[in-house]
Amino acid sequence: MTGGMSAYPQPHADADNHPLIEGWREGRLMIQVCGGCSHTFFYPRPLCPYCWSAELSWKAASGRGTIVSFSLVNRPNAPAFFAEVPIILAEIRLDEEVLLIARVIAREASSIRSGLPVELVSGPEAARYPLPTFRPRQ
Amino acid sequence: MATSDIGIIGYGQSVYVKRTDRTLLSFLAEAARNALASAGVAKQELDGLAVSSFELPPDNAVTLAEQFGISVSWAYLGTAGGAGPVASVIAAKRAIEAGQATLALCLAGDNYDVGGHYRLMDNFNRALKNYATPHGFGGANGLFGIIQRKHMETYGTRPEQLGRISVGQRASAVLNDNALLRTPLTLDDYLTARIIADPLRLYDCVLPCAGAEAVIVGPLDRAPAGKGVRILSGYERHNHPPGEPAPLRGGWELFRDALWRDAGYEPHDMDFVQAYDDYPIMVAIQLEDLGFCAKGEVGAFLGRHDFAWNGSLPLNTGGGQLSCGQAGAGGGMIGLVEGVRQLRQEAGRRQVKARRGLVSGYGMVGYGHGLSTSSIVMERTQ
Ligand SMILES: [Zn+2]
Repeated sequence: MTGGMSAYPQPHADADNHPLIEGWREGRLMIQVCGGCSHTFFYPRPLCPYCWSAELSWKAASGRGTIVSFSLVNRPNAPAFFAEVPIILAEIRLDEEVLLIARVIAREASSIRSGLPVELVSGPEAARYPLPTFRPRQ
Repeated sequence: MATSDIGIIGYGQSVYVKRTDRTLLSFLAEAARNALASAGVAKQELDGLAVSSFELPPDNAVTLAEQFGISVSWAYLGTAGGAGPVASVIAAKRAIEAGQATLALCLAGDNYDVGGHYRLMDNFNRALKNYATPHGFGGANGLFGIIQRKHMETYGTRPEQLGRISVGQRASAVLNDNALLRTPLTLDDYLTARIIADPLRLYDCVLPCAGAEAVIVGPLDRAPAGKGVRILSGYERHNHPPGEPAPLRGGWELFRDALWRDAGYEPHDMDFVQAYDDYPIMVAIQLEDLGFCAKGEVGAFLGRHDFAWNGSLPLNTGGGQLSCGQAGAGGGMIGLVEGVRQLRQEAGRRQVKARRGLVSGYGMVGYGHGLSTSSIVMERTQ
């Protein structure tokens, strides 16, 4: 299954978030950097949530982080996920100190621990998922 | 917010059902009619209307006034999810004190089921729709599993401690004919139930359902004799702390001192607590952050209390959302209505010897957690 044919629910692209969605099609996790106060943040916004500056730019995150906490979801919200349970849903702290909620892909869900280093999935696997998705760091 | 002679003079509840052909408006109407009867107020006397409901759009507070045939000088649409109904009562009290209305009906309710809950959560707001739904996040369960695990790993909180909340509330629900789940529940049942979103198990989660709740806010001397409920204090907070997807707090800690100072009481003076119970972990966090125990020590606190209506700390004495069902935004008013019922000594077989109590709201799940908190302290009039 390719990204374009995926039955997963897709994010709605708009003028504020298209660099994130298009960046991920090339395997990158794009985060915003504020020109006013230098904070980085996720999710995409039209203003910096720290200082309200509109002087924003995008940068590719390293793609590395650690799991802060997680849940193993046995009843996901859409049928596209039903054959893939448990869905590993994690709060991840990027090396850039940005916090986000994302899916982690692992053969054994029981191997997931808080504090586990993770990295972005890559290549054809990345194309499958609608948003930046992680795996245990190899 | 200081006390005044504006308080809660009536309450009402609709029947709760798992699935129905009835409309949302019919549930809201049923709760409203019961509240009028409880207050002894005529429908044409109402001049304020507040409503909190996820499924209400495209309708709103003003089109609801049209449906109900009332002309109002104050209208309020709740935007704070399960914290909205308590916030609406705080706002109604202020509006009446300011002369903008004299008698306000505050309504909350929804009409959905398990499938409807997932559809609602997938489209709850732009951030969830765009950045959580495509991950298969599993609705609120997936997010609160993250929060519960973090609390367990940070403070050593254990499932057998959290389970005492679900078990205690079920003991009260057994005595509530309007609770959808009335079978006695043991701690062993709780600990061995199927996993929904590890670490959350079945009895950590609420059953989405249809139902509505209502209160009438007005001058306490309009209440039937001895039936007025004074609001001693009330506060709300939204989006705190900013920028954290899964915090172990929600804003109660910011207004806790003011809430108790205004009320003139402390946590141990409360005869009951009606805390927002979408998950036991959030009840636990409310108990910590509203001052019933120190932060991080709620596990031991839960271990030494019994939360049934006749226990050492009566909690959600009608069974709460965990046993009655979660009627959407009505879940933010079920505790308020139960608190008023208790203070009016109208709780029947589960009547607590209650002079005063705390009601707390929580909700509006954003990118990772509930963004809104609200709390009031109430006391019966003599
Ligand atoms: Zn900034």
